[in-house]
Amino acid sequence: MTNPQSFFGFGSALVLLALVGAAPAPAQRSTARSWRDEVRRLRDAAVVLPARRPRPARVATTLATTIAESEPNNTVPTADSVGLGDRATGVVNPAGDVDTWFVDLTAGQFLSVDVDAAQVGSPLDATLELIAPDGTTSLAFNDDFDGFDSRISYRVPQSGRYYVVIRAFGAAGGPGLTYAINFDKVTCPVVGTEQEPNDNPGTAAPVGIGDSGSGEICPHDDNPAGDVDYWAFTARAGTTLELDVDAAALGLLVDPVIALYASDGTTQLAFNDDQDGADSRLQYSIITTGTYYATVADAAGSGNPFPYIFHFRSITPGPGDPITVRAQALGRPLGLAVGNTGDLFVGDLTGNRVVRVSGQGEVTTFATGIPTPQGLAFDAFGNLLVASTDGAVYRVTPQGQATRFITDAGIPLWIAVAPDGRIWLTDLSDRSLRRYGSTGQFEARFDATTVGGSGPGPVAIGPSGEPYFSQGTEIWKLANGELRRVLTSAFVIWAFAFDVAGNMYAPAPAAGRIQLFDATGAIVADTFAIGPDAPQAVAFGRDATGATVARLFATDTRVGRVFEVNPAGVAHPGQPVGYVAPPFPLDVAAANLLGGGGLSAADLQYLDALGNHNGRYDVGDLQAYLRTVGGLPGARSNR
Amino acid sequence: MSRPRWIFAMVAALSVGSACSDNPTSGSARAGTLTLRLTTPHADDGAMTFEVSGAPIDSATAVNASLRLFTRRVGGSTMLGAVVGNLANGAVVTLHVPDVGAAAGYTATVLEVADREDALRPSLAGYALTAAP
Repeated sequence: MTNPQSFFGFGSALVLLALVGAAPAPAQRSTARSWRDEVRRLRDAAVVLPARRPRPARVATTLATTIAESEPNNTVPTADSVGLGDRATGVVNPAGDVDTWFVDLTAGQFLSVDVDAAQVGSPLDATLELIAPDGTTSLAFNDDFDGFDSRISYRVPQSGRYYVVIRAFGAAGGPGLTYAINFDKVTCPVVGTEQEPNDNPGTAAPVGIGDSGSGEICPHDDNPAGDVDYWAFTARAGTTLELDVDAAALGLLVDPVIALYASDGTTQLAFNDDQDGADSRLQYSIITTGTYYATVADAAGSGNPFPYIFHFRSITPGPGDPITVRAQALGRPLGLAVGNTGDLFVGDLTGNRVVRVSGQGEVTTFATGIPTPQGLAFDAFGNLLVASTDGAVYRVTPQGQATRFITDAGIPLWIAVAPDGRIWLTDLSDRSLRRYGSTGQFEARFDATTVGGSGPGPVAIGPSGEPYFSQGTEIWKLANGELRRVLTSAFVIWAFAFDVAGNMYAPAPAAGRIQLFDATGAIVADTFAIGPDAPQAVAFGRDATGATVARLFATDTRVGRVFEVNPAGVAHPGQPVGYVAPPFPLDVAAANLLGGGGLSAADLQYLDALGNHNGRYDVGDLQAYLRTVGGLPGARSNR
Repeated sequence: MSRPRWIFAMVAALSVGSACSDNPTSGSARAGTLTLRLTTPHADDGAMTFEVSGAPIDSATAVNASLRLFTRRVGGSTMLGAVVGNLANGAVVTLHVPDVGAAAGYTATVLEVADREDALRPSLAGYALTAAP
């Protein structure tokens, strides 16, 4: 941790101080990135803090000498000399100009090379490169750190002459592209409210709920992998915390990550990266009163030090709080579907598998071999459909056997089954919504490029049987072939669910909460549940008969768990999930096929849709109906 | 006539009488069963509708428990049926008729066939259904 004034200048320090003392920062609108990128991020993100390259940092404090460049200095042999503590100046001119400097260093020193150009009004967008004593090996590179200005912090492994090369981005050049480079050693004096060393729970800096701590991530400390700042606080059971770090918000191109640990200091309870742009924020419901630990670290491992402000807040719970964890250690659970006996089926992004969570919380592997399972839904026959990043929708039998089922969609992300048995999926490859018959025949494609955002993503079936989908911060529906916006949120909405009243429960992972909207899209509870870390998919539970109940479950992907919101806050049972058998018996369906009548035109259309979709009701459709309702000899009902 | 020859003659007479009762021209009908046998060019038939007509039918049942049969009468001597399951060459339905001697008078016709993936066969070429004892 260092003095902010030496790092940012006085103005920035005022901003930092103002922020430290400020009330909770206003919510920042989340940016909808592509669904595919988001899934990749979820899948690849480490549960534990990422390892980082041990590269050091900074910092020029008192500059002894200013040295002007001497052209030609475009190559290592013609490099200009500079020493630690010096300030080098020059001009990148003409276009394509390269200025090379050398500095002699001793093994173990932390070199800080910091460009001042754009920050002081130069039009130069600099890039920096550090080259080893052999004159050719590139050790580090940086383009932008302080805005367009570059910085490299590097721990020198061996004594020798090192070279620093400055160029203009895009090989630009001109007489006005002036710069200064500050050469110094990285130092990390203790400033702010943290107290280095604080790299483990035993040395954590104390902080209170409602306060903000300040510090700096600086590699020059006792942690060889880079700085991790620990903070310790006491929290009461029933409290929902929000931990919020501001660093990028201070104007730096940095990427802080935060984590929350249990009282043992090692069990990670929550983790977040990039909830607010590059900055991080998480919420967590405290179940047991005790001491907890929160950490700040550098996700990118750039080696450059940066200051931060860490807010510790108690936030007001919603009607769905507190949450109850039903299963954990699930890898990266994303998609969620509820079986007809109430078991939860969860896609694990990292395990290429689907797990089943029983009502008692027992977790078993249900199906394997499905690459990066995303959206899950049960089809009309009781098979589980799983959209995979390998471009296919898999069909998993009740026995757990998975086969590729729908293969003509480009990049299927999410999937839902309507009450008529039809299958709806969103295709990222062309931003479309696609409809299939219950047995997988392609029926129609609906272009959704006009909805903007990230295009159609998670999809759910509304009370009237129409498909609704999130395009990022908005939910749209397809009605009578036309796309209509239903609601707009301040946050990116993932896989939402309906209750029988038409209310929408929308998980906003970037905000760490579930929001509740009514059927018109009006907000009912901005914070329906704040307990999750980053809820991704919600689904209503079902009882042993398959009836949907007033219990809402969700995946909390980044922390590998499935939780249930407080059922006392769920006013209505969920919308019946997926296929709903029409109210006519088998004998009537068969008699109608044999000329006996008894079914409406809608019934016949339904039966055809369930079967072979050839425009009329025939014996193939009867077969499909028998299969669906368990009417084939020896078959059990798929309902 | 010795005793064994007398017994043989009685058995023979009874046998001749029984055979004569199957003759439709005899005027004495005998209730019994006929079997509908399917001839199919495919190995993956999953469902079929059919029609049997020509003589009265009391009832019909699937030949085994792996098949599901639905029937509907149309008039006095016509029955429509749908049978679902893994169909193959051979017996599919048992007809219970009031006069098995009238087997030759029954006409059985395949109306529709679907494969096991619910797709309707576009052609019924190669299909046949026969009713016989």
